[in-house]
Amino acid sequence: MASHSESIIREPLITGKDITYAKITNDVLRPVENMPGKAWWIGFVVAVLGALLWVFSVSWTFWFGIGEWGLNKTVGWAWDITGFVWWVGIGHAGTLISAILLLFRQNWRNSINRSAEAMTIFAVICAATYILCHMGRPWMFVYSLPLPNQYGSLWVNFNSPLIWDVFAISTYFSVSLVFWYTGLLPDLATIRDRATGLRRKIYSVCSFGWTGSVKTWQRFEAVCLILAGISTPLVLSVHTIVSMDFATSLEPGWHTTIFPPYFVAGAIFSGFAMVQTLLLITRKVLGLENYITMFHIEAMNKIILLTGSIVGVAYLTEFFIAYYSAGEYEQYTFLNRFIGPYWWAGCMMYGCNVLMTQLMWFKKVRTSIPISWVLSIVVNIGMWFERFVIIVTSLHRDFIPSSWAMFYPTWVDVSIFVGSIGVFFTLFLLFIRVLPSIAMAEVKLILKSSSEQAKLKLIKTGHLDGEQVDFYKESLTTFDSVEIADYQKV
Amino acid sequence: MDSNKKYWKGLEELNKTPEFVEKNKHEFAEPIPIEDVLSGGGLEGRTPRRDFLKALGFGVGAVTLAACQKVPVHKSLPYIIKPEEITPGVANYYTSTYEGHAILVKTREGRPIKIEGNPNDLLSKGGVSAQAQASVLDLYDVNRLKNPLKDGADASWSDIDDVILRALIDIKAAGKKIRIVSSTISSPSTLGVIADFITAYPTAKHIVYDAVSYTGILQANQNSFGKAVLPHYNFDKADVIVSFGADFLGTWISPTEFTSQYVQNRNNKSLQSKKMSRHIQFETGLSLTGSNADVRIPVKPSEEGIALVALYNAISGTTLPGTKKLTNDVADKAIAIVAKELLAAKGKALVVAGSNDVASQILVNAINAKLGSYGTTIDLDNPSHQYAGNDAGFVEFVNEMNRSEVDAVFFLNSNPAYDYYSSKDIASGLKKVKLKVSFANYSDETASLCDIIAPGHYYLESWGDDNAIEGYYTILQPAINPVYDSRQAEHSLLIWSDNAVKDYYKYVRNTWDKSLLAKGGLSGQKGWETLLQTGFVKEAPKAAGTYTFNYDLNAVAQKVLDHSNLLADGGKVELQIFQSVALRDGKRANNPWLQELPDPVSKVTWDNFAAVSPADMKKWGYVDGDVVKVEANGYSVNLPVLSQPGQAQGTISVAVGYGRTAVGPVGINVGQNAFPFHSLRNGTFQTAATAVLTATGDNSPLAQTQTHHSIEGRNSVIKEATFKEYLKDPWNGTGKTKEHKDYNENNLFWQEYDHPQYNWVMAIDLNACTGCGACVVACNAENNVPVVGKDEVRRRREMHWIRIDRYYSFNDNGDGGITKESEIARLNNLDNVKVVYQPMMCQHCEHAPCETVCPVLATVHSSEGLNHMAYNRCIGTRYCANNCPYKVRRFNWFNYWNDSRFDNYLNNEHTQLVLNPDVVTRFRGVMEKCSMCVQRIQAGKLKAKIEKRQLKDGDVKVACQQTCPANAIVFGNANDKNSEVSKALASERTYYVLEELNVQPGVGYQVKVRNINELEA
Repeated sequence: MASHSESIIREPLITGKDITYAKITNDVLRPVENMPGKAWWIGFVVAVLGALLWVFSVSWTFWFGIGEWGLNKTVGWAWDITGFVWWVGIGHAGTLISAILLLFRQNWRNSINRSAEAMTIFAVICAATYILCHMGRPWMFVYSLPLPNQYGSLWVNFNSPLIWDVFAISTYFSVSLVFWYTGLLPDLATIRDRATGLRRKIYSVCSFGWTGSVKTWQRFEAVCLILAGISTPLVLSVHTIVSMDFATSLEPGWHTTIFPPYFVAGAIFSGFAMVQTLLLITRKVLGLENYITMFHIEAMNKIILLTGSIVGVAYLTEFFIAYYSAGEYEQYTFLNRFIGPYWWAGCMMYGCNVLMTQLMWFKKVRTSIPISWVLSIVVNIGMWFERFVIIVTSLHRDFIPSSWAMFYPTWVDVSIFVGSIGVFFTLFLLFIRVLPSIAMAEVKLILKSSSEQAKLKLIKTGHLDGEQVDFYKESLTTFDSVEIADYQKV
Repeated sequence: MDSNKKYWKGLEELNKTPEFVEKNKHEFAEPIPIEDVLSGGGLEGRTPRRDFLKALGFGVGAVTLAACQKVPVHKSLPYIIKPEEITPGVANYYTSTYEGHAILVKTREGRPIKIEGNPNDLLSKGGVSAQAQASVLDLYDVNRLKNPLKDGADASWSDIDDVILRALIDIKAAGKKIRIVSSTISSPSTLGVIADFITAYPTAKHIVYDAVSYTGILQANQNSFGKAVLPHYNFDKADVIVSFGADFLGTWISPTEFTSQYVQNRNNKSLQSKKMSRHIQFETGLSLTGSNADVRIPVKPSEEGIALVALYNAISGTTLPGTKKLTNDVADKAIAIVAKELLAAKGKALVVAGSNDVASQILVNAINAKLGSYGTTIDLDNPSHQYAGNDAGFVEFVNEMNRSEVDAVFFLNSNPAYDYYSSKDIASGLKKVKLKVSFANYSDETASLCDIIAPGHYYLESWGDDNAIEGYYTILQPAINPVYDSRQAEHSLLIWSDNAVKDYYKYVRNTWDKSLLAKGGLSGQKGWETLLQTGFVKEAPKAAGTYTFNYDLNAVAQKVLDHSNLLADGGKVELQIFQSVALRDGKRANNPWLQELPDPVSKVTWDNFAAVSPADMKKWGYVDGDVVKVEANGYSVNLPVLSQPGQAQGTISVAVGYGRTAVGPVGINVGQNAFPFHSLRNGTFQTAATAVLTATGDNSPLAQTQTHHSIEGRNSVIKEATFKEYLKDPWNGTGKTKEHKDYNENNLFWQEYDHPQYNWVMAIDLNACTGCGACVVACNAENNVPVVGKDEVRRRREMHWIRIDRYYSFNDNGDGGITKESEIARLNNLDNVKVVYQPMMCQHCEHAPCETVCPVLATVHSSEGLNHMAYNRCIGTRYCANNCPYKVRRFNWFNYWNDSRFDNYLNNEHTQLVLNPDVVTRFRGVMEKCSMCVQRIQAGKLKAKIEKRQLKDGDVKVACQQTCPANAIVFGNANDKNSEVSKALASERTYYVLEELNVQPGVGYQVKVRNINELEA
């Protein structure tokens, strides 16, 4: 698909003039091959401090017990599982982009899939740590694995959604990791070829002896396609199973059949928001505006709008079903989201996720970088509150009123959450220094067909419909990486 | 034969080369670089590969060997000579007595670990109060005195005996007064010892002083009938019970006994025979008794007497001089109706009053006499000996001390420096006494003012007896050797009075041999042994006579009116002093089980507070927990306020028993002392005063185990019916259908279990449960439930396996049953509160939601219908607790038995001796919950097996069931259709909480029935 020409009415996926394969390599590898700048160091120090806070507060929990958190006899999960689901949700965009969009031949994914996948892996790591440290006896976590043991037939409980969760998360993590790493191989080889000394040795080992022969490429493409096929169901299954952690219970507010699709949509929603949050910064700081263009930003905003609206419909459905079911407890739980003591959390959830994302119907909003960035943060906040509302607001007032209680977080709850963000950013910042944050090889694939310079050439040489050319030019006005002046001449 | 053969190891040896000769001088062929190593050079030396391997091999071997040690090793010592009666693992039970109730003490390997009721106990038929249940823990309290003290320093018993004997001889010679101050003693032997002491020292006198006094009743009976006795009340014989502030189910005189009597006219059996008593309560603060009443009318303390006058007038048709209209219209109307009902139930009516005011009690006597209660519901001929304190007598003693007339004083189970209203008079008086001796177990407020503390045995270490009710004698026998170097108080008194019998055991034997054994038709050694096995003897009760009331009521009524005017001091708040159900008079303030036992009504733990009516809260601008300064009778304390529905408007209630300043670390400075609010009037201590409240601006949140108080209209949790409705249709409360809806009809997902032999279930009668909380403490003791302390209760993390949910509902203008928070908020008048109690524990669901979600199968179903918890398998995901609709699962947030922050009982090695060895303690991070006392089920099955028989119904009693004085909890095998529990569950009133979830709970509840009268209808 590399050399055929593309319709002029499609926006370019790579902007800038004089983009060559070499320039792409140089641009993408600039952060990998040079010493980091001040901005990176500041970010890194802050992130590491956060990670250290995480280490401290998790150690504190392990030493003294879960009692250091704000949980109680009524609210058995709060910030822990909220954080877990939030991170798993964030970890959804990566695989969606790399697998589903690959299968659908969405070439624009090539610029963002690497970072998104890395983000997925780091987010799943954060989520997995939550699973471990929310246990009362984390040193016994092996009991949750179906391992042969001295007790004879003592097995895990295959009825328990938590067991499904163990399988789902570990499968998702390993497949994502393999997929990500496979995609990295040609790029690692590129770094290897340009590096010297110890770095060369390390990248040489890491690139598994990539030769760049046609056969290698062919196998590479085949493996990627197979892995995409394997990953695709996982995108849907992981959050489906996470949602079953709630949906299979009796708890009003949890016991809802709509949860699987609703959670998956929510996960993609929050995942894309996080990709947006990270890439809007990364593209500026690392000077990758030519590869991650306004088209990408707008495309992701459209997905956020779509999934946000699906989530909104799910919310409405929940309310309708609560009303229609005439279930006493169900009705109270949903009313309680608005009139109960946690009404503010409910407002954050519905406000951030549904109302704010509806702004994306406006092209001006979709194509404004600052507004997109702020909205991506708003979505992340809203999705955190969604999980908080589902978990805490449902639990704190369920069937028996005598047990109704409030949940108040302690400093440990807050520190672990803030710390997990620190861990995430530490990993991400390290990632952009040692690995190419854009899949160079894949971007090169589309240079000849979908880049701005290719289109420009097409306009100059081709006999195109003037109306279509004008449409193309019009679409470029939103791009911040395109010199509009260039098009006045042609 | 000599051999001159020479063996050589090498050519070097054969040739004796100079190198060989040189090397052979040393032990090792090659020099060992010790010097090099020691001088520090060794580290720089090159290590040959082989040396490295040797060091590695040695290192790995050494570490492996070291790691082979088994740690930690806990040594347990076996018996060298095994006592005949002790089989490790098998409990022994000893009869004994607690406050006059016959009890059984369960001991394991020589340690008392549980108090259980003696099923034949005359008073409560095997029911045991929370205090008695908790009393076993105090035996292991490390803060008890370990030896006698003289002037604060350790002393030996012989030193103390010397000092006291010498002092007593001097005092006797000087003719100065000697006083033995005690709370009421109903033990014949102890009274004998004191009498003997007085014979030896004629200037001695026994002063009986009760912190919470019943002198008013004693005096009133003296005035009315010439008998200064505390009558024995028969609540079981009363069809109409009217109580004016007497909390007879919670704290008044003999609450466990009264509970057992009271429910006999309200339980399932009674309802089946279409009978239910009516109970009307007039009171200030919402007491346990008031919360169980069919009709409850809040009245101010100042109007309690006036209400009595009005009731007398209404019953007798006269008008006494003190007659005044009540300010509360509802109360006024109620009096007329109540009078009618009482008259209709003549001979089956009972009026009681909690006041300690003589005049009020005389009025009560007059009313009861008019109603023909004497000889039926009130028995003056077989009186109670539980309280005999004489307030005026004690005040006179304090005056004597302050006049320097007393030279020696002995405090026996009495702590006036804490619980007398004017403790400064005690302190100043004691300064003038030469010899001050306390028998206290703790260095308490009074003991610390004494020169000598001669700690007595704890009751579980003592011999003795008791006589709570005329003709009912119980025996106290030790269940363990004295833990510390204490000596029974009676023993000390025998020594100090140089009695012919110095051994108190012999003294008790003599008392029984002389007269008491004969009362039970026993005699001799055989009789004594029988007594020790049965625990009590019982005389045939004397015929209860009828009494004619003959006393001038005009003066009495005037006194009541004066008293009322005194209290109704315009603008001031009226203060009511009461006993909390958990702590009572505060003697057991160092008991963590009792401190953490939630107050039945307010659900507050670890604190006392000022109860304020919701209307006043609004008026005065307080919110829950606001600390106010309460000032009355020249004394003031800072207390948090609590909005208490049902509290009479314009009044506050404060519990005594808190604010101990000298007791162990558990009870010290918990709450504030309210005893100084008492006052002396007309010769008795008064429990009401006028107070001034000032806000301090602080807020101190109360530690409540329940913070939402209404049921939100959820009638699948609580079901109620009125007695009228019940009579019309017994199925009324459960929904009028004669058959339960089968929610399991379309069951697709749940596995059905087979219960081939046993199916353990429970039935709880909401109409019998009074909410007293004895079951909570019994469960604590049986199942080693941790105590978490005030801060953790505030965080809503109490560990109780059984809790008693308490819900308020309100009645507004005939619209009965307002139960929703939002509707309650709109009500102006929250006086008309209805209360329902619901004991809640693991429901052992057949389709247990907890079981399906546990990832590791740590909670599983048994073939006997139980939901088991395998602590060792639990990894603590807490999903089971989240998914439990009843919220009965408890998570071990901390390592309660090995964490210095929870230094109340489990964390102490000595106190751990109270633990039930049949129940494992739980590590942090695991879930726990009610196991339906699976250890008891197991023990019952084993016992049946050893005796080669089938398990019978009633062989296994769970701890909560066993202690319940109301028999509200029935446990048993549902497969046995003739078992008590099967019969109870077959009742029309049976429903299952949250039945519609089809979790198939194993605990059935019986609808609460209220016998409301026309006032409410």
